[in-house]
Amino acid sequence: MSELFTIFISMALVNNFILVKFLGLCPFFGVSKKLGSALSMSAAVTFVMVAASAATWLINNYILIPFGVEYMNIVMYILIIASLVQIIELFIRRTNFALYNVFGIYLALITTNCAVLGITLINTNEAFSFIESMVAALGAGVGFTLVLAIMSGIRERLELADSPKAMKGLPIAFITATMLGLAFSGFGGIV
Amino acid sequence: MAGFVREFTKGIVISNPIFILALGLCPALAVSNTIDNALGMSVGVIFVLLGANIIISLIRKSVPNIVRIPTFVVIIASFVTIVSLVFQAYVPALHESLGIYLPLIAVNCIILGRAEAFASKNPVTASIADALGISVGFALALLLIAFLREILGTGGLEVAGTSLFTLPVLSEHPLALFVLSPGAFLVIGLLLALFRRIGAIKHE
Amino acid sequence: MVSMLRRFLPVLYITLVVLITVTLLNFTESITRAQIEARQHERIEALLFELFPEMSDFFFEDDLYTIFDNSTEIGYAFLATGVGYAGDIDVLVGLEDATTLKGITVVSHQETPGLGDRITESDFINQFRGLDIDGVALRKDGGQVDGATGATISSQAVVDAVREAAMEKIKELR
Repeated sequence: MSELFTIFISMALVNNFILVKFLGLCPFFGVSKKLGSALSMSAAVTFVMVAASAATWLINNYILIPFGVEYMNIVMYILIIASLVQIIELFIRRTNFALYNVFGIYLALITTNCAVLGITLINTNEAFSFIESMVAALGAGVGFTLVLAIMSGIRERLELADSPKAMKGLPIAFITATMLGLAFSGFGGIV
Repeated sequence: MAGFVREFTKGIVISNPIFILALGLCPALAVSNTIDNALGMSVGVIFVLLGANIIISLIRKSVPNIVRIPTFVVIIASFVTIVSLVFQAYVPALHESLGIYLPLIAVNCIILGRAEAFASKNPVTASIADALGISVGFALALLLIAFLREILGTGGLEVAGTSLFTLPVLSEHPLALFVLSPGAFLVIGLLLALFRRIGAIKHE
Repeated sequence: MVSMLRRFLPVLYITLVVLITVTLLNFTESITRAQIEARQHERIEALLFELFPEMSDFFFEDDLYTIFDNSTEIGYAFLATGVGYAGDIDVLVGLEDATTLKGITVVSHQETPGLGDRITESDFINQFRGLDIDGVALRKDGGQVDGATGATISSQAVVDAVREAAMEKIKELR
């Protein structure tokens, strides 16, 4: 149990996907301008990360490893993630249209989000068990959500702030990320 | 030939993937901590983008529209697998220090972006020029960031195991922040602001 | 018939693409496999040499390397993993006999450059040379190892990992 908790904390805070591993930066700078869209995006990413971790774990342990073709994992994982996103999108569109309106546009972007492929590769590299993979994906998703939410809150204010002209927009967002990263490095060593 | 040169230079300056389009940031930040990593990543990206652009440009007329993107993705991922296997066989230390960022080239927005926006619409020679221009632009930006981070963060510069130079004071008291992850954000943010200030990049 | 074909053409197309790429990758893998395995063997050999310079051969079974010098057994080595500041620290531990360490070497880590990564420096590592297993603890805990400066958590992680793994292996060896 404590092992799982360690994985969760490590993924969410110590090795935060955005600030430490730089995974999922496109949405970080793209949709972090508004809190609402940031939350929708991160919920979608978290969900797909957990689902993709489950699917790739099964494929890796029951197909790739038994047949000795682990080197095919990049191609396989990408195909799995792409089809998974398609299925989820179709399912949500059929069952809950209101939800589709909120998540739909983000789902399409997720296929090429490095956070999703990233977590599946980390699970494989660390040789996590099925449960550990799930916890790792959930932890990574929570960390992603947390940082995206903090960032969007700061950026909403930055829009109104009188920053130097050359700094406006992306550069000041990077500088803000520096500060956040420094703050998060304080979590190092707690696991 | 003039067309070739135009497509090539476009990628380096006018639409530099990192500084102007803000694409492919994940590797630009993650593996720019040392020059060695940046060089390795650049070689990987050049090979994958060139290979993918050539193949996609060759098959662009035959691929059915509905499976266009999946086909591109499979082709790109295969080139990434080849790079990964070759690195593992001949430069294992580099393969290890690039870690998951090497396979992640497969979902780098730059590569799928060029496949979709350029190679799927243009003949092979133009696609080669485009691939070379964009990936050299990417490599230069990556090397610039890595150059600054390694000098500030370690007080010297080391390429492929041989030390090029060490600075007197900085090497004894290096600013470790710059090789850590927050330092990556800081360097890229300041560079971007600098390029805007001197007018190299237009404001959006 | 023709319209049927047209409908399935995209499916056939992508299947063909996947088949071709899989064949090509299989081919690449078969070319590089020998090289990759040779490199991995070389790497382990180099690490073991750091600990046992007199080694002539080694044998691997059940997570344990048995080291030979001209067919005489001269020691054992195994991997130990500790949780450091930013992630796992993998250490290769060499055992001379059931009570004495031959030495250790850090295989991989993600510790902070300039601080935590001092655990890879010889000042810290060399303290484990010929150390009695009972002395594997930081000085503040009654052991004989000085933590690397500025790398308290990382040093603690290495010491704990080495001690626990060594105790376990020694029990198995007896």
